[in-house]
Amino acid sequence: MRAGPTQEEVRRHNLGTLLRYVHVHGATSRAELTNRLGLNRSTIGALTSELISVGLVSEAVPRETGRAGRPSLVVRPESGRVYAYALSIEVDRLRAARVGLGGRILEQYETERPPGMGVDDAVQPLARFIRQMRSSVPDDARCVGSGLAVAGMVRREDGMVRLAPTIGWVEEPVGPALSAALGESGRLSIGNHADVCALAEHARGAAVGCDNVIYLYGDVGVGAGIVAGGHRVTGHGGYSGEVGHMVVNPYGRPCSCGSRGCWETEIGEHALLRLAGRTGRTGRDEVLAVVDAAMRGDSQAQHALRQVGDWLGFGVGNLVNIFNPEVVIFGGTLRDVYLGAAAQIRSRLNAVGLPACREHVRLRTPELGTDAALIGAAELAFEHLLDDPLLS
Amino acid sequence: MAATPLLELRGIDKSFGPVQVLHDVGLSVYPGEVTALVGDNGAGKSTLVKCISGIYPIDGGTVTFEGNEVAIHSPRDASALGIEVVYQDLALCDNLDIVQNMFLGREKTSGIVLDEATMEEMAGETLRSLSVRTVKSLRQLVASLSGGQRQTVAIAKAVLWNSRVVILDEPTAALGVAQTAQVLELVRRLADNGLGVVLISHNMNDVFAVSDRIAALYLGRMAAQVKASDVTHSQIVELITGGRSGNLGLPAEKPSEFIDITPGEAQ
Ligand SMILES: Nc1ncnc2c1ncn2[C@@H]1O[C@H](COP(=O)(O)OP(=O)(O)O)[C@@H](O)[C@H]1O
Ligand SMILES: [Mg+2]
Ligand SMILES: [Zn+2]
Repeated sequence: MRAGPTQEEVRRHNLGTLLRYVHVHGATSRAELTNRLGLNRSTIGALTSELISVGLVSEAVPRETGRAGRPSLVVRPESGRVYAYALSIEVDRLRAARVGLGGRILEQYETERPPGMGVDDAVQPLARFIRQMRSSVPDDARCVGSGLAVAGMVRREDGMVRLAPTIGWVEEPVGPALSAALGESGRLSIGNHADVCALAEHARGAAVGCDNVIYLYGDVGVGAGIVAGGHRVTGHGGYSGEVGHMVVNPYGRPCSCGSRGCWETEIGEHALLRLAGRTGRTGRDEVLAVVDAAMRGDSQAQHALRQVGDWLGFGVGNLVNIFNPEVVIFGGTLRDVYLGAAAQIRSRLNAVGLPACREHVRLRTPELGTDAALIGAAELAFEHLLDDPLLS
Repeated sequence: MAATPLLELRGIDKSFGPVQVLHDVGLSVYPGEVTALVGDNGAGKSTLVKCISGIYPIDGGTVTFEGNEVAIHSPRDASALGIEVVYQDLALCDNLDIVQNMFLGREKTSGIVLDEATMEEMAGETLRSLSVRTVKSLRQLVASLSGGQRQTVAIAKAVLWNSRVVILDEPTAALGVAQTAQVLELVRRLADNGLGVVLISHNMNDVFAVSDRIAALYLGRMAAQVKASDVTHSQIVELITGGRSGNLGLPAEKPSEFIDITPGEAQ
């Protein structure tokens, strides 16, 4: 029989729980922490003091309470002093940010990623952004590490990009290349773009409080970040959620992955723009232009949107039957497609989704927009700190 | 989702002179949900909303709010219950700024005189609670705002005073694609924040994008109120244009004949 946890283990666990609470929920009074965490007042006081002593939280008298009696002190994360670097490699963009504890973006930069840009050329601007941010960080601030989101399949253990067809990378050691360029910036954690977006929306966006979430991200390709039973589903090697490569139409078009009739060949940007008679164009503005044209009565654009909406509804119906999510979030350009073709999408989902699986599913657009990838990437870096706040 | 409606109408009748515009209309509005009110031009949507908001007296039927029967004789009665309407022709003043517009006409209702700083803080707090990031300065004149921003201010004004039910009449009409998207997300957020929302719209994508339930009026009668997870676009179109779709909607027979043949219901 295994002995119970030691007092020291319990204390460290509680420190992590308290820190995680204020990291996710923001400034919280001691009274509420006592309630929420089910610990007594003196324990909350002791834990808070310890987190203050290592510079992770601060404590202050609230501005006004509107109630009589001594106000409960408010504990807040040290967002300005404890931070992570967040990076994102996307189809047409490279983004970098410094994100404070509590998920606040302190500063952010971005640049275009031209088609065909290789790993070394993509790593250089990201490293430059970080050097730039580093030079202006306050002296007493502390970096807990870096997180990187890549729009592709990334090996969890070492950040090897196995396949990123929309970016055009195969078996590229992006993690090591970036670590080398960054120098001493602490640990680098890497995740898939849709996965970290789901993480961010789950922690502080459209899926707060939901334990079963599907976040769909679409641009040229389509991927999903999935939360099941409150846990991220990442798969054995970190590659799960490649819903864009579900084969939905065996007689369909060739896919960038080498297969044929994958879901993204029917609902990705190329499909919409081709159906709308705008072959060769790409990007969010072009997708918006199709939705706009459809709203104004352009029948080819309406047809394109309806057809993509149909296929989107079929696929979401399948996912809803498999995962029985509380919420499905449409991110990237799928947000615009959803809002412009919701009648089609909902109708198909209602037709193919099993009543018990679909009855409570909410269809939503993201709350964090393009910040989700950065906030989510930072979340990967904060994870180590939240697991053990005293680890330095 | 909530089981008890926040606002419930039963058997509402309304005539203008000899013309009966609403016949025995029922509608349930649930907290945390968007209920779309759809119907062809002239179906009676605006009239129904004006009955709820106290602009028109009803001829028959009951209005229940949080389980209590209420009498709404004026817009002031509706406001006191927390029912707000955002009309198509937005009642905003171009020559006033955002804060002034949000408080316009409210000083009298609340009876409280607020200082500028408090008003600005309340306005900012309301916009923040709706995650509105599109408005830069609260002291901007409304004349300088885009159509979508104006709609945002009108909606924020409706929720400023702890409203419980917000009714929006065609909030995306005349907006471009990007602003329509923002307003739809805002409508959704109102409900996700716990309000009961009624959305009047002709655009079926708008309706399906944000609604939990859809209520279809046909020639002044409520054809059906259904969950958005249970119907298709074509069923809603049939309800709107013909009052029925399969076994949904108004019975083909006259209601009185229909009741006579229902087992166990004969009188
Ligand atoms: N003030 C009024 N006096 C007489 N008839 C009216 C009045 N308002 C509306 N109506 C009539 O009531 C019917 C319903 O109108 P309305 O409620 O505006 O429909 P909707 O908003 O669904 O288009 C129409 O036939 C309309 O002509
Ligand atoms: Mg009308
Ligand atoms: Zn594929």
